[in-house]
Amino acid sequence: MKLVKKLSLVAVAAAFVISSAGVGSTAQAAGSISGKITINGSTALLPLSLQAAKEFQRLNPKVKIAASGKGSVTGPQAVNKGIADIGACDWDASTDVPGFKAFSGQVANKVAVIPFATVVNKSVGVDNLTTDQLKGIFSGKITNWKDVGGANADIVVITRAFGSGTRVNYQAKALAGGDITKKDKNYKEVGSSGDMKTAVSTTPNSIGYIDLVYVSGGDLKAVSFNGVAPTADNVVKGTYKVWSYGYYMTKGQPTGATKAFIDYVQSKKFQDSSLKKLKFIPISSMK
Amino acid sequence: MSTHVNDLARGEAPKLKEPVNRSGWNRAARVRFTNKLFKSYFLFSILALCLVLALVIFFIGKTALLTFRDISFAQFFLSFDWTPEEGKFGAASFIINTLSLTLLTMVFAVPISVGLAILIAEIAPKWLKSFIRPVLDLLVGIPSIVYGYLGLTVLIPIIRNLSGENLGDGLLAASIVLTIMILPTISRISDDAITAVPKKYREAAYALGSTRLQVIFRVVLPAAMRGIAAAVILGMTRAIGETMAVVMVIGNTAQLAKSFFTPTSVLTSNIVMQISNVEFDSTWNYALHMMAFLLLIISFGLIMLIRFISRRGGHTA
Repeated sequence: MKLVKKLSLVAVAAAFVISSAGVGSTAQAAGSISGKITINGSTALLPLSLQAAKEFQRLNPKVKIAASGKGSVTGPQAVNKGIADIGACDWDASTDVPGFKAFSGQVANKVAVIPFATVVNKSVGVDNLTTDQLKGIFSGKITNWKDVGGANADIVVITRAFGSGTRVNYQAKALAGGDITKKDKNYKEVGSSGDMKTAVSTTPNSIGYIDLVYVSGGDLKAVSFNGVAPTADNVVKGTYKVWSYGYYMTKGQPTGATKAFIDYVQSKKFQDSSLKKLKFIPISSMK
Repeated sequence: MSTHVNDLARGEAPKLKEPVNRSGWNRAARVRFTNKLFKSYFLFSILALCLVLALVIFFIGKTALLTFRDISFAQFFLSFDWTPEEGKFGAASFIINTLSLTLLTMVFAVPISVGLAILIAEIAPKWLKSFIRPVLDLLVGIPSIVYGYLGLTVLIPIIRNLSGENLGDGLLAASIVLTIMILPTISRISDDAITAVPKKYREAAYALGSTRLQVIFRVVLPAAMRGIAAAVILGMTRAIGETMAVVMVIGNTAQLAKSFFTPTSVLTSNIVMQISNVEFDSTWNYALHMMAFLLLIISFGLIMLIRFISRRGGHTA
């Protein structure tokens, strides 16, 4: 037991020395950057962070990047507490959004465009929904598909739990700030995008919303929003409105290795290749 | 069991190879030293465990009690309105749902699993026993997320078809998944308890002219009562604390379950759904900790209750 304690103490001490040395020497020296970057927050942006970290560390072997994902709001919180250098968040956390106050003193750095889609189970015969229809459905005023041009069947609403970044953005963009009201029946909350996909795929007559990248395969389909199909092209053209930027929140303007990393993520090289491969949309394509 | 351990320890002491004289220690001193060493090691083990338990209670409790800085005791325990975004933190529906889910699960699980245990231990032929026991052992080891996924993809559509509901999520689905999950645990441990009943009890009962049914219900089951109660405790604590399997089939909506099919939420599922989306220093976070603390207290309470019952039942056997 004592030996284990000693060993772990040594390990902790070593980690401490290494990390403090890393933080101490974030200055750029002779073109090579060194330092330690911790990324925390949104799971939606995690694949992007991991891919960027891999590439950035190959170019700058002296930089150590640790990325993890939990929930959008944990990103800016971790930055506030000094636990993380970068807080990945699905909304601009330096401003107020429904349910969450602005994090003062933080800077939002755009890194990607995330499109969202309204999805329905394959059994639903509806292919287009308007803002008003969606507002009616999610607030519980419209409960039958026949009221929005479908068959005579109850609408089953599937939604993300309050606090989800996807929900914040969907409410703001697709529902124009409208409410999502819980009901006694035909209503269910799920905890992640993966669960949303499973739930909508397996529940007949269900409706939900999800990151566009998840809409492939399964027994679900994306419906058009105000007559516009949810595709990356339509987002770029500016006709499909349900999308948001993904942000890297930092405490004040980023410096040192953190700045270099964010610059790399925003660079044309990364945005046009790896980011596109991960099915995000480059920020430069938005005007 | 304990006598076995003692025998083993005593049996091993003389096996130490070192000659007594070379070490300068006599045998008695060495034995005394080893005994002391092991005594303190065991003491340390149990203390470490107690320390962990104390720390869990202390830290969860400390954060949990901060809840009552902002909201009243009465609101948390008596209000059914859980709307964190509007500052309403009534946990009554979660508490009642947790209790009713556990009760429903036990109503399903206990008769079936004890019946299964009787079958394996008393009735089944040898080849069937040696088939069912390993199968049950395998089932115990399946991760709960697998049960949850099966519940979502297999059980829910069945419930939907049979009940005519659109969704099917709710207490019934959750309790069936939990029943399947804890069934092997309860029946395997009950099986051990029943098998451990001395053969002479049965022989004596048969000699007095009992039928097989009488032997099982009047002699074997009462004698194995404590073991079965322990099995039920284990199953129940697993059911109460189960999160992943429940989250997938219960519907996760903060409201009281008015029927078997109301999409609803229990303490565990609500914590796991919301904890990653709350701010650290918020009443919401404290309230979730309070729910975890409550879960701890409920499961302690239930364990105490069943221990109490089984002790009283044990004497009449």
